[in-house]
Amino acid sequence: MTTELPVSEQAPVKESGILVEDSGVTEVSATERIDAHLANDNVAENAAVVSEDEAFWKSIPEAPTDKEVKLLRSLLFSREIAIIEKLRSSYTNAQYNAKKVGNILAEAILLRSKSDNGLNVALESVVDNILQSSLQKRKTEFVDVLYPLMGPTIRKSIAESFRSMMADFGKSMEMAFSWKGLRWRLEALRTGKTFSEVVLLHTLEYRVEQVFFIHSDTGLLLSYLINEEINAKGEGGDTNDAGMLSGMLTAIQDFVRDCFKGGDVESMQMGECTIYIKKSRLAYLACVVRGIPPVGLQRKLEEILEMLLIEYADELNDFCGDTAPFADAARLLETCMLSHYQREGRQVHPFWGKWVPYALALSFCIGLGVVYYGHAANIGAHREAIAVLRAEPGLMIVHVQEESGIFDRSPWKVIAFHDEFARMPADILTANGMDAALFSFNLVPFISHDRSVVLRRAEKSFSLPETVSMSLDNGLLTFKGTAPMAWILHTREAAMLLPGVKQVDMRGLRDPLAEEIARRVKIVEGVTVRFPAGGDMPITSDQPHLNNAMDALVELERLTRKMGIVVSLTIYGHADATGTAKRNYEISQARAHTVASMLYARGSGMPISIYGMGSQYPSDEKTGEYEQEKTMRQAPYGDDLASRRIEFRVHLTSQPTITTERLLSQ
Amino acid sequence: MINKKVCMLGAFSVGKTSLVSQFVHSVFSDRYLSTVGVKISKKEIMTCGKEINLLLWDMEGKDAYVDINTSYLRGAMGFFVVADGTRKETLDIALELREIAFKYLGKPLPNKLLINKADIRNKWEITPEMLEGLREKRIDFFCTSAKSGDTVDDAFKSLTEEMLQEQNSAK
Ligand SMILES: Nc1nc2c(ncn2[C@@H]2O[C@H](COP(=O)(O)OP(=O)(O)OP(=O)(O)O)[C@@H](O)[C@H]2O)c(=O)[nH]1
Ligand SMILES: [Mg+2]
Repeated sequence: MTTELPVSEQAPVKESGILVEDSGVTEVSATERIDAHLANDNVAENAAVVSEDEAFWKSIPEAPTDKEVKLLRSLLFSREIAIIEKLRSSYTNAQYNAKKVGNILAEAILLRSKSDNGLNVALESVVDNILQSSLQKRKTEFVDVLYPLMGPTIRKSIAESFRSMMADFGKSMEMAFSWKGLRWRLEALRTGKTFSEVVLLHTLEYRVEQVFFIHSDTGLLLSYLINEEINAKGEGGDTNDAGMLSGMLTAIQDFVRDCFKGGDVESMQMGECTIYIKKSRLAYLACVVRGIPPVGLQRKLEEILEMLLIEYADELNDFCGDTAPFADAARLLETCMLSHYQREGRQVHPFWGKWVPYALALSFCIGLGVVYYGHAANIGAHREAIAVLRAEPGLMIVHVQEESGIFDRSPWKVIAFHDEFARMPADILTANGMDAALFSFNLVPFISHDRSVVLRRAEKSFSLPETVSMSLDNGLLTFKGTAPMAWILHTREAAMLLPGVKQVDMRGLRDPLAEEIARRVKIVEGVTVRFPAGGDMPITSDQPHLNNAMDALVELERLTRKMGIVVSLTIYGHADATGTAKRNYEISQARAHTVASMLYARGSGMPISIYGMGSQYPSDEKTGEYEQEKTMRQAPYGDDLASRRIEFRVHLTSQPTITTERLLSQ
Repeated sequence: MINKKVCMLGAFSVGKTSLVSQFVHSVFSDRYLSTVGVKISKKEIMTCGKEINLLLWDMEGKDAYVDINTSYLRGAMGFFVVADGTRKETLDIALELREIAFKYLGKPLPNKLLINKADIRNKWEITPEMLEGLREKRIDFFCTSAKSGDTVDDAFKSLTEEMLQEQNSAK
């Protein structure tokens, strides 16, 4: 079939044309048709011209109608017809084709991209367009995705540039004040290099000097690159050493891994050089860098290693010492041979060029040094103060705007959340012996839940009596000590509303006055005052009890008045069961009445309610238990003395306070 | 370029370092500097018409207290076990290390036994009968001298050739 290809390529249409005419079906022509069909297929594929393909389909002659020929055809070519049908259907089936192309797409792309960059050229504009349109359509999504990346990146790069600035300063200082400057000058004289060249060499910020691509298991060097400048000067050591060095690097890592189980070496320091290592199971990259490399270098190494691993996956797996297949790896290694100098080299004039700039630089550096060290101290003081402020409860520093200009001594701007019950920042600084003028504060009020601040807030808002102590633990506010009941009641409600307080425990609080009151109420309500049968004056033996109770009531009145509590009294009079109900009702009321008048006579002014209960509530107490009764042997007061009695009930109601009264009236 | 990682195993002070230094730099020193950890040297040789880089991992000698660090063996393509002819116990250690290496590497790699200090044969404890025993066990050995350089090159060349054969048969 392939041999026929050139023929059909020369005149494919013509040949099909012949076939159209030659519909006289013979064995030979049928075979030819198959060949031509397939050949044409190839042509169509190769040229990828659809219209030609269509033309071909049109050019296929109709199947013969002659019955015998049909039979003959099916007898002779049933197999071929089936094959052709299968080929045709698969050729026209878009899904099948897509699947087939899909199977080989990755390999095809790989093959092509290995041979030239045609694919890149072809895809570039397409990918560009896709990116552009999707960026435009989904701006916010992209922002969302990029946002978390950009923050750290920016921070990192700022930190990096600050670091290099400091390093720069450090170098200038060193150059001005140390022997190094002199040494470099001597070195320049000795080596015949210009002074600036020597400075350049020493002020090199970073330079990737050597890159090793190493097989992980054997430690054998697969590919190696050395910076040309170093190589030319022979400073990098013998290139031959690279093999040994890569072995050594591997051994060191083996050793470290053995000593610190699982720990992998990521970098090693070697004098002024750092070796960065990016590892994978099969191979690793080691990169010797002089100076401080940019943050991006590590990522770059990672990327290169990934690419190498993809490109040489098989070779790495079957590695048996032959490095020939890795000859091309250097191409990739080349991309990480970066370098960066701090300053550009200058042309130096014979005399003036040598001395005047140097003297100027020296005096400038001295001046700068003074300012710089002042500046550094200034920054130090600020930082220290900020640290103190950060530690203060109830003060939350949100933003510090550092005025890092060397000549700029204006105060740093600090924005902070501040609880009104926390100390003022200026006071904190003064209390710590620091200069409050270092900062200008912009305080935003907020409510802190910090323990000490919550306690201070509680103290201030409760006007805490000295006799009360307070503690806060996990939102539980506990009070202990003694305080007036009114304060206790008021505080109980207020405390629950205090920010930072979740629970209040007041069981440890006592009001001594309330206890006094309670004691007296008990005396009053517990008193026994009995009456003789038919009489409304208490029996003489109970008179002292009644006096006691009345004293207690008067005292109670005095005590409660202080607390804004109103005492009122109810006196229940009782009679025994003898006699008519009406009489009993009257006598019981008379008894209560008598006691009430006695109380008023003692100077009490409290409201008293009187109830005559008749004989409905006889006493539970057995008569005859009183000693007096026993000694008297007789029962001069009748036999149900205990029922002929009065009872006190004390009521305490809190007086509406003046403030609430005022509130209500408004 | 073909690279091969080769390990030097053996008891302490048998002459591993001396053999490497004789082979690589053609120098010998009477001073004994015990190797700590591992020291790597490189030597390019021509054999079978091929240029080959040998990366020689000269390892710390094994004694009663120090076991060899097997992780240095990882990825080795061949190894030497070295014994000191004047101390017969070093031969046992050498044979033991050979087994350890096989076990660690998971397959019998090309290897050679070197019985060193052949220049002071009169002080040897290893007897011709013992050598005969090795031959019967089909263990390839060379009697070398790091001092005079005797058969040192031959031994390295022989191992290299075996490693190349191994590489070709693996393909
Ligand atoms: N006479 C003689 N002395 C040798 C020979 N080879 C080594 N030596 C001496 O034996 C001593 C030990 O040699 P090394 O090569 O350091 O031994 P090593 O096996 O590397 O020892 P470790 O590193 O401690 O395991 C040294 O004093 C050498 O001079 C030899 O072939 N002949
Ligand atoms: Mg040694």
